[in-house]
Amino acid sequence: MPPSIHPVDLIDALRQKHLTPAIVFLTSRRACDEAMESFDHASVVLPPARQEAIDAVLQQVIAQYPSVADHPLIPTVRRIGVAAHHAGHLPSWKIAVEELMRQGCLDAVFATTTLAAGVDFPARTVVITQSSIRKARDFTDLTIGEVQQIAGRAGRRGKDQVGFAVVAPSPYIDLSVLTKGLTGHPEPIDSQFTITYPMVLNLLKAHPLEQIQSILAKSFAQFQLNRRAELLERKLDALHVQMEPFGPRICTDWITQWQTFDQARRQRPQRHQPRHESPELTARFHFMTPGRVVGLARGRGVVLRQYRSKGQRHPMISVLRPNGSVTECPAAAVVEIFDRVFDCEETASFPWCSAASFDELCYQLTELPPRLPVLPILVSHESAPLPDTVVQSLGDFPCPTCPSRPACQKDFATAHRLRQEQHRHVKSIQALRASLWHRFQERVDVLQKFGYLTPSAQLTAEGEWARLIRIDHSLLITELIRAEAFSGVEPAVLTGVLASIAHDDDRPGAFPRISPGLSSLLGQVRKLAESLSPYEEPPLLRADIAAIAERWVADPNLTWIGLCRMTTMAEGDLYRLLARTLEFLSQIHALHATHPGLADTASRAIALIRRGVLEELP
Amino acid sequence: MTTDELEQLLAQQPVSLLHRLARGRVHRHFRAGKRRLIELLLQHSSQNLAGLESDLQTLLAERQALPQRPKTPARRKEELAPVHPKRHPPPTTGGESETSGPAVSLANWLEGIGVPPPQPFVPDPWQVEALAALAEGDVVVSVPTGSGKTYVAVEAARRAMEDNRTVIYTSPLKALSNTKFTEFSRLFGTEKVGILTGDRQENGQAPLLIMTTEILRNLLYDAASGEIDVRLDTLGLVILDESQYLADPERGVVWEETIIFCPSQARLLLLSASIGNPQDIADWLSSIRTTTCRLIRHNKRTVPLRAGYLHPNGKLVPLFKTAAIPYGHPNQLHPEAKRLFMQYEEDTMPSGRPRR
Ligand SMILES: Nc1ncnc2c1ncn2[C@@H]1O[C@H](COP(=O)(O)OP(=O)(O)OP(=O)(O)O)[C@@H](O)[C@H]1O
Ligand SMILES: [Mg+2]
Repeated sequence: MPPSIHPVDLIDALRQKHLTPAIVFLTSRRACDEAMESFDHASVVLPPARQEAIDAVLQQVIAQYPSVADHPLIPTVRRIGVAAHHAGHLPSWKIAVEELMRQGCLDAVFATTTLAAGVDFPARTVVITQSSIRKARDFTDLTIGEVQQIAGRAGRRGKDQVGFAVVAPSPYIDLSVLTKGLTGHPEPIDSQFTITYPMVLNLLKAHPLEQIQSILAKSFAQFQLNRRAELLERKLDALHVQMEPFGPRICTDWITQWQTFDQARRQRPQRHQPRHESPELTARFHFMTPGRVVGLARGRGVVLRQYRSKGQRHPMISVLRPNGSVTECPAAAVVEIFDRVFDCEETASFPWCSAASFDELCYQLTELPPRLPVLPILVSHESAPLPDTVVQSLGDFPCPTCPSRPACQKDFATAHRLRQEQHRHVKSIQALRASLWHRFQERVDVLQKFGYLTPSAQLTAEGEWARLIRIDHSLLITELIRAEAFSGVEPAVLTGVLASIAHDDDRPGAFPRISPGLSSLLGQVRKLAESLSPYEEPPLLRADIAAIAERWVADPNLTWIGLCRMTTMAEGDLYRLLARTLEFLSQIHALHATHPGLADTASRAIALIRRGVLEELP
Repeated sequence: MTTDELEQLLAQQPVSLLHRLARGRVHRHFRAGKRRLIELLLQHSSQNLAGLESDLQTLLAERQALPQRPKTPARRKEELAPVHPKRHPPPTTGGESETSGPAVSLANWLEGIGVPPPQPFVPDPWQVEALAALAEGDVVVSVPTGSGKTYVAVEAARRAMEDNRTVIYTSPLKALSNTKFTEFSRLFGTEKVGILTGDRQENGQAPLLIMTTEILRNLLYDAASGEIDVRLDTLGLVILDESQYLADPERGVVWEETIIFCPSQARLLLLSASIGNPQDIADWLSSIRTTTCRLIRHNKRTVPLRAGYLHPNGKLVPLFKTAAIPYGHPNQLHPEAKRLFMQYEEDTMPSGRPRR
């Protein structure tokens, strides 16, 4: 049996059951194109009346967007009444397909799910062939919200009494993701607030530093952090109650007393081999308690226990992985500590928790949503070990004569655990309340270091213009401008560099050769980007991408078709690259007051880019 | 039983039984083929083979009790019987896979397909409510895809413009902005509608401006730092369409900034597809803005939705036992769909290699 239904048969089946028009979501652009090609030998042809209707609509679209006229797919679409719609196409072609769909001229459109949110055309039926989509470089399961967004395209108000979402399986499909998605309640959304350099500069331009914290407090991020903090505060209150029986005894703070002895006892044998452990790791290790969900380089897990390795005494954890296996890994391998703790009934031997807990955790681990809130952790740098003198002076345990000793001994374990928990909560609450402000200050530090801000956090002359660059990789771009990397360059070279900064896709392809001038400038950009990498993620800086953008500007006689022939990049991608480069150029153009020469080069580049299909849409 | 014996016994079982056994034991067992499934089962239970074995025996016993399980008549009888002989599901099987009641037929599932008779346009109660609420303060709308959020945006824009206030409409994508530009120009007249992109303005002085959220954020930056765009004074309404983008890992921050910096005299209208916590968004807005924010939400689709399963051989069957989607019951699969899908899994993964 074939791994999935043949596109021609699929459309046949839909037509037979009157399930058209349909949107067929396929796994990749390639799958969409191949689906279209598979109709080459299909015998079914649309009746002439329908072909004319398609022509009529296309004529209207062509009047506005002439580039549609030469589209190679037009004859196929006319003949079979089916089209493809994905990010590899030009926007004008996508508009044409959307219009055809809206006017009811097509029976089906093959599309990719990446567009599910952006596509504004419904249909009677939606065909779903996958349960995961490519995000960044990895495949992730569709969320409930995404499944509903996709399935929701089915059933047009006023044109359909019922809509249909049909699952047609392909390899890689996980039916349960889809059934859960169709029947479930969409996930709550979480803030993705980050603090960017342009944000810092623009905020400090408009407000004094004292006001910033209250502005950050207005973010949804802080709103959600506060909610979590409030939850912990309630837990903290409960802990206070639990701690009541462990109040002052003969020693007012007997818990600390006992803890110090405990610590001293444990510290003594290892004083000779100092641990090189970063305060970050120590602070994070604190939170890797049983039941905690953590992110590792490959996937997630639940911490089952923490311990220190024999010999080196490295912090280690045992982790339950989603496939049900238990792995041992150094705490340093934990990339993310999530704000999610499951109940976990600990046991002293493998698998470190009761069988019931184990099953429950396995299940919960598979049910976790793809995005989880991360626990902000403040690092205190003062958690130094006890000074040797203190340890020496403690001598042996001095309590034997104390009347409270049996009670203290009995209660210490519980009291200590509760108090640790208390400390942890207090720290978490502090971190939750202050994390945004801390992140802001970190950014301020960097901007001060580079001279965009004064020591009192006011904008310097450099900061005044740098705040106008509000795109990704802003630090790299402003630093390049300050290093005069662009002085005297041709519009084509500026375009090439900005294109390679703007482009964040690593899809391979074949491209034209790069000019020597651009190539050497790119080398300089790479070096700078590398040196900035502690402060800003470097862009890909692909030479091939720079070259193709350079060509378009350098040769005004080059046609769009000619440009497309130079590369294997899809024309939609090429369009998006140039459109994004235009945005970058227009931000450079905004610097005309301080950098007139550069701004002029940018505006010449803009004028040169904007021709042919790049002129059709605003 | 030794591991080898257990493995052999497992190998003799149909893959459907193995899947039942794997529930709660093997992550994403649906993805695995038979051989891989056995491997994973044994691996998972290496510490507790006895547990696996006893669950297997329970399942087998259950099978024995229903010798003609695949044949429908026997099953029907059993299901319709007033007194249900108590079965012993293994502890690992979760969910309500087998609820009573016959499964829907394909004909019934397809019933009602077609075009409804034309009806005069009457706004839905939630649309009216959203517009009324906008007179009092900010509004968050969270309704399913295709419900008619555009109507709310259009009417709200119309009312604001009648009051001589300007309106900004943002969408996450340039393509969507373009579509809306065409649509709104048709509705309000071309002189009333403008569009702003990173490098170009078209009719930038019009009372209704369309732009992407990033462009609006930049405008607000400039306004805050004193390079006042005069038109922000007359700004009466800001519409953020597709505002579930707030949760976008890369761009979500722009939505937050836009909302934080939005001038207080302008009303905010957030239009979003169904999300899990719209109340949180509304509470957040209430906490930072001068007016209280109203939440308009519902989860019911205007056009009812049904789900089907299309096998590679062209056979179409309902996906769930009921014609309508059984909300909250993901396991109520149509027996036919379930059978076909298991067959599909068995056929497409003969090598038993995990897929990812
Ligand atoms: N009250 C109504 N009665 C009948 N039809 C309506 C009503 N309101 C909206 N519609 C129609 O419903 C269809 C979908 O509307 P619209 O595009 O606004 O949905 P939406 O909620 O914005 O969906 P999406 O999530 O896809 O953005 C449109 O064709 C519109 O004309
Ligand atoms: Mg909409």
